[in-house]
Amino acid sequence: MQPEKFYYDNKIVRNFGIATVIWGIIGMTVGLIAAIQLYSPGMNMGNQYTTFGRIRPLHTNAVIFAFVGNAIFMGVYYSLQRLLKARMFSDLLSSIHFWGWQLIIVSAVITLPLGLTTSHEYAELEWPIDIAITIIWVVFGINMFGTIFKRRERHLYVAIWFYIATFVTIAVLHIVNSFELPVSAFKSYMVYAGVQDALVQWWYGHNAVAFFLTTPYLGMMYYFLPKMANRPIYSYKLSILHFWALIFIYIWAGPHHLLYTTLPGWAQSLGIAFSIMLIAPSWGGMINGLLTLRGAWDKVRDDVILKFMVVGLTAYGMATFEGPMLSLKQVNAIGHFTDWIIAHVHVGALGWNGFLTFAILYWLIPRIYKTELYSKKMASFHFWIGTLGILFYAVPMYWAGFTQGLMLKEFTPDGILKYPNFLESTLRIIPMHVMRSVGGTFYLLGVIVMAYNLVRTAMQGKLVANEAAQALPLAPLPKAAKDGTWHRTLERKPIQLMIAALIVILIGTFVELMPTLTISSNIPTIAAVKPYTPLELQGRDIYIREGCSNCHSQTVRPFRSETERYGEYSKAGEFVYDHPFLWGSKRTGPDLAREGGKYGNAWHYNHLMDPRLMSPGSIMPNYDWLLTQTLDTTTTIAKINAMRKLGVPYAPGYERIANSDLDKQAKEIAANLYTDHIKIKNDKEVIAIIAYLQRLGTDIKANKTANK
Amino acid sequence: MKYHRILFLIPFILLIQPGMAVADNLIPDDLQNEIAYWIIIGMLLLFVVAMLVLLKTFKVLARVVLKSQGYTEEQIAAEMAPVKKVKKPKAEVWNKLLSLRPLAEEKELLIAHDYDGIQELDNPIPAWFSYLFYATIIFAVGYILNYHVFHFGQLQYEEYNTEMAQADISKKAYLSKAANRVDENTVKLDAEPGVVAAGQVIFKQNCVPCHGDHAQGVVGPNLTDDYWLHGGKISDVFKTIKYGVQAKGMPTWEKQLSPKQISDVANYIKSLHGTNPAGAKEAQGEKETDDAAKATKKA
Repeated sequence: MQPEKFYYDNKIVRNFGIATVIWGIIGMTVGLIAAIQLYSPGMNMGNQYTTFGRIRPLHTNAVIFAFVGNAIFMGVYYSLQRLLKARMFSDLLSSIHFWGWQLIIVSAVITLPLGLTTSHEYAELEWPIDIAITIIWVVFGINMFGTIFKRRERHLYVAIWFYIATFVTIAVLHIVNSFELPVSAFKSYMVYAGVQDALVQWWYGHNAVAFFLTTPYLGMMYYFLPKMANRPIYSYKLSILHFWALIFIYIWAGPHHLLYTTLPGWAQSLGIAFSIMLIAPSWGGMINGLLTLRGAWDKVRDDVILKFMVVGLTAYGMATFEGPMLSLKQVNAIGHFTDWIIAHVHVGALGWNGFLTFAILYWLIPRIYKTELYSKKMASFHFWIGTLGILFYAVPMYWAGFTQGLMLKEFTPDGILKYPNFLESTLRIIPMHVMRSVGGTFYLLGVIVMAYNLVRTAMQGKLVANEAAQALPLAPLPKAAKDGTWHRTLERKPIQLMIAALIVILIGTFVELMPTLTISSNIPTIAAVKPYTPLELQGRDIYIREGCSNCHSQTVRPFRSETERYGEYSKAGEFVYDHPFLWGSKRTGPDLAREGGKYGNAWHYNHLMDPRLMSPGSIMPNYDWLLTQTLDTTTTIAKINAMRKLGVPYAPGYERIANSDLDKQAKEIAANLYTDHIKIKNDKEVIAIIAYLQRLGTDIKANKTANK
Repeated sequence: MKYHRILFLIPFILLIQPGMAVADNLIPDDLQNEIAYWIIIGMLLLFVVAMLVLLKTFKVLARVVLKSQGYTEEQIAAEMAPVKKVKKPKAEVWNKLLSLRPLAEEKELLIAHDYDGIQELDNPIPAWFSYLFYATIIFAVGYILNYHVFHFGQLQYEEYNTEMAQADISKKAYLSKAANRVDENTVKLDAEPGVVAAGQVIFKQNCVPCHGDHAQGVVGPNLTDDYWLHGGKISDVFKTIKYGVQAKGMPTWEKQLSPKQISDVANYIKSLHGTNPAGAKEAQGEKETDDAAKATKKA
């Protein structure tokens, strides 16, 4: 048989590489601006489009889907072709994939600052973009499987198992978490409400970390590390075990994001139990990576690329040990809602995803440009400043997390909170927030140096757009052929492998989601809980638009420190009309689940205009545009109709009188503000958000008085 | 030797110092802790320095003594230089612990296959890795059994009830001491400067945004005039602070301030009567002939 000649497509790899670097710098810069706003709110530059609540999602989306996303495609397109000894299935699909993905990111960069958001973390993009993501993801899948089908290599290497699992699971996660009912071109309501919506979101959120930030990177690690170190993979058996164990167990762990909420206890416990079981499978990847370097440690001393890999793998090991520890409810009680979580995710993101990406870029760009890296010194500088950046970032954030977590739980002997004012804890950790932005600056500086280094590298070489290669075509399999093991057989059957992976991830999905989504007794209803009035509904949408839930949670956990601080702990039945849920995941400010009636309307008005008037030292930005912008009431009818479709019991025909109800309530609030010498027209947005804030958590209070 | 004894004593003295200072509370607790902390750190550093100095001294002394006994320079050098121990092959220990096979045997383990030049070894899964995995599985099963089958562990709402019950017991014990037990029925007017000053501190921390820095009234009413929305008697003021007036936007302070603190701040407010601050808000509520005037007279 004659070897066939063919060409690897390096241009698409290069394109994804460029996108990775550019979006990386943008995403991290936005992160830095957001971080600085946490001690100097004026850094929002006085306008709504660059205020924390709107750019925090921009930061997370940019670094996850733009930086890491493009890096994944870069790594996959490079390694897949070589592992399969075939060019990508279709250059056209590659190109559609590339430009489609960039377009999606650009649309995110436009819509998120405009406040167009679903409020689901890491899934903020509105429904038209969700559809675009689905289409582009399918394009990627066709391109990948097309390449697999025309391969010249009988068996699929472990890296490709990870790529397949990534593809199929992200597809499932994205589709299920995007069940939204469109209200208008850029507004939708989540189909699920309250605790069900929370479960779906964190099943998604957790597994986006698993299958977007972890599995594709493990796949890339399995290709690039042995290449970089020129060493064989330590253990094939360990690869098999940890691959299947990882994808099976990971999918169950989502509920650990919802400990001490109204999620049923059995679901919480399952989340904890599976999180603990996740330690070994996660470490399997790290061990296999580090032991692959056995006999090559002398190279690590000189080779900056391997240094990046080692720190990256170590950061992965630390983060995947810390994660299970944080999911133990006793630890979670202190760590959740604090900067501890921010530290945790950044060890993973900066260390594991960032450093692996940098290593791959440093390794791959000189190769496709047929040259040497422009400056090893600069790369070395990048390594050290990056590592220092991670330390300067993580250590202060751990410190801040412990400090705040413990301060908020402390009582005096007379049984009252030692720090009843949440703000005291915020002010205490401001120095730590300053430190972390210094760490972030270091890290970003390293990336900029890398960008320069890579540009110079590209300039001194010439892109080999089509790299020649040859391999024997696959001969038909002889009938008597034996693979040795069942897994070896599976490795040459891509479709079966994909289906097996799909089944494995669907088990945990069904066991956890189905009972909560279908059995109504899991969410006891409360008669006193009524749908929002039209004005409150509009106010709620402003709350979503401004991204308030990025800093304020809306769920009181059953702890003495929380019921004393905020009021009665939250009940599942209180959230049945919350499409979407707004529990949040971080308390930069206090919880708002029982905010209604705590302060007067005038307090809220002044506080939104300039928080420092009512809470001296507050780091909340001014929301003065709410005072001047007029509430758009043309959407009320569509919103009421959409909510009714989702099961919220608005009377038939209510949409027709909704706006007159809205006016009436707005006038009452404006009149009440007038008694405190605040002159504001009743059609301003601030009236709606005050109405919403004053409603929060009051249904149960009303119930209590009624019972008395 | 006697220097040593002193050195050992110093940290003890420093440690009990804060304890002795409690009686006269001139320095605030936080500052005391801070001072003690730095003194301890300083002492520890001093110890390290002292030890280094001693070590050096011993070396010099030994040299002098040996020289006086007629040793040559080379002999002294040989005597002083510690004998280097033969290094144990560390790698072997590691290999055992991680159940690794020596690199030399690697060739036997290579699987006869490569992907783009990447080869794989047929190493077994490290035993300790399997044990770790089994251990976590046992923990997970035990966890579920503990909380959902045997019910040894408390789930969140039981946990909450336990926590609240315990808090209640310790709070009651604390409040049984008379001084802490003040409520709206027992609160007394008190123009004692100490009480008023304590109340002022609380007022500055919590009340200024709504009532103004001189209680002249901003969003909330003026607290210095004769007019009261919810009663101007000390017991009324106490009650208003304690329970709040939700309809008017006055928050409940019961959970944020102790009864003693509420009483202090109520007394501070009463002490402001008739101060006529600049920019006072217009009168709200009923005119009341109050008891503050009498108290001032008495004082």
